[in-house]
Amino acid sequence: MASPSTPAVPAAQPLTLDGVTHSYGTGLAVDNVTLEVKGGELVALLGPSGCGKTTLLRIVAGFIQQTNGKVVIGDRPIDELPPNRREIGIVFQNYALFPHMTVAENIAYGLAARGESRAVQAERVKEMLATVRMEGFAERKPRQLSGGQQQRVALARALAIRPRILLLDEPFAALDKNLRLDMQIEIKRLQRQFALTAIMVTHDQDEAMSIADRIAVMSHGHIEQLGAPAEIYDDPATLFVNNFIGSSNLLKGAVEAVDGSEARIALACGATWTVPARGRFEPGAPVLVSVRPEQMMLADAAAPDRIPVDLKLSLPIGGALIYDVAAPGGEQLKIAVPRRPGMAASAPGTAHAALAPHARPALFPVA
Amino acid sequence: MSQRSTPADVSFNLTVGAIAIVAILILIGPVLIVIATSFTTTQALRFPPPGLSLRWYGELFDPVRSAPIHTAALNSVWVAGWATVIGSVLSVLAALAITRVARPSARALEASFLSPLVLPTLSYGLAALMFFSVMGIRPSLNLLIAGHLVVIAPFVFRTTLASLTQLDPALLEASANLGASRFYSFRRITLPLIAPGIAAGAFLAFIASMDNVPVSLFLSTARTSMLPIRMWGMMESTLDVRIAAIAGVLIVATLVLMVVMDRLTGLTRRMSA
Repeated sequence: MASPSTPAVPAAQPLTLDGVTHSYGTGLAVDNVTLEVKGGELVALLGPSGCGKTTLLRIVAGFIQQTNGKVVIGDRPIDELPPNRREIGIVFQNYALFPHMTVAENIAYGLAARGESRAVQAERVKEMLATVRMEGFAERKPRQLSGGQQQRVALARALAIRPRILLLDEPFAALDKNLRLDMQIEIKRLQRQFALTAIMVTHDQDEAMSIADRIAVMSHGHIEQLGAPAEIYDDPATLFVNNFIGSSNLLKGAVEAVDGSEARIALACGATWTVPARGRFEPGAPVLVSVRPEQMMLADAAAPDRIPVDLKLSLPIGGALIYDVAAPGGEQLKIAVPRRPGMAASAPGTAHAALAPHARPALFPVA
Repeated sequence: MSQRSTPADVSFNLTVGAIAIVAILILIGPVLIVIATSFTTTQALRFPPPGLSLRWYGELFDPVRSAPIHTAALNSVWVAGWATVIGSVLSVLAALAITRVARPSARALEASFLSPLVLPTLSYGLAALMFFSVMGIRPSLNLLIAGHLVVIAPFVFRTTLASLTQLDPALLEASANLGASRFYSFRRITLPLIAPGIAAGAFLAFIASMDNVPVSLFLSTARTSMLPIRMWGMMESTLDVRIAAIAGVLIVATLVLMVVMDRLTGLTRRMSA
């Protein structure tokens, strides 16, 4: 850590998880996770509850001693260090502000615990309050602050110790929807400004998508896919990722022919689609084709690559128009098209669902 | 609430209301009667008092004529004070240890620490007397402190335990994460947040010690007389009105303490809420 009197920001350090495994009794909470977070990068651990993301965060923080594997900051393993020696900043889920202390005392706490002088503490408190734009609130108690203000104080408190790593535990879960975007921008700004290597735990894909540089989608203790938000969304590696991220239409089918990187699929609902095929698919193999609602459209005329459908419902949701249609096999599909002012929705009745131009359906083998 | 009340509702409400009034009368009535009696002009305890005066309070505070009462009162305060202080320290330590351990043995310890609250205190007083005499320990104020300690410490233990279970564990994690040692976390986070609970328990413990009869009955002697025992003695021999005056002083002192406690812990709670 830099000496507290020099406000210079130390260079961002990478955080490496090397084969981290943790079991509670007989259950495996974290299963051999290897992940390298580059210096200054923000990686989101995204997954449903019970997927091991919180356990992983607590292992990094030092609240849990992992069964196996290493946690390394820079080139220094930190597994032997107790939580109070790790110099990792955490923004807790419900902020965990000290209720009996003022905002200033909360922010100064880390420095006070290190035995820094009152002058250093006061100077840092002033600096941190300015950083999170809370200058007028030094003498308030946490309960006198709104949720967003409490989060700013929690950030200021975490950053006041000049941590090398920042951990965010469901940071936006307790905030109003309107406030979330503001705080996401705020956290991104501070993370850049302080050149922090950060891990965020969340079950909310929108949060992860909006501020993470990369997302690690987790399920049952392991990482299903690690990649940039767009990559995760456009090219889900597994069916789990496909279903967890965004919404998608799943269509049953069988491989008719494979031609290089493309496969021709006969869908159970009648149409034949040619889709990109990653991995090996044998002709005749049953598959699931996943296509995002916005990668489909409605057409008037029938064609071999169009699914005859029954249009049931249209919902204008913000800038999009969502059609709820039923395919011949009874499968419910969602189709999203951009909505322009004054545009009339297609009337319920018979229609044809087609892939939109540039659509990229994903192909998954049926286990 | 907007529903029309049926005859059954009315009779239910009347019954509950009547029971409540009787309960309040039984709670407050004796207090009012003893205070009124303490201002009597008569020689003996008498209610209603034929006239009002402060003569018995004057008598009670007379340093010569009421010296034995003063000694007993000082003994009681001394014993209650030390038993409360020692009991609070031990209870807080025990509660801290028990909340930190999740093992079933901790639950068993918790139950055993709380057991003096339900154990017949009279049996404990007799047992303590026999135990100490077998050990060859002569009766003294210290012995009384030890005896009271056992029966009043659970009050502090219970309220401290309650405060500790309400303490958000994330606060201690946040403290550790910010670089605090365990002791530093205890001093700046745990202790201030459980202080109202400790104070409330200590208050209850002090009061419980002040009017404890069963333990004092067995462990006190003529030289180490305690206030409640002395009051009982006076009651048996004469109907001395000073007893009522003592009761009056005790009631007022308790009320004052209660208000102070509420201000203090209420204040702390407001600060920590």
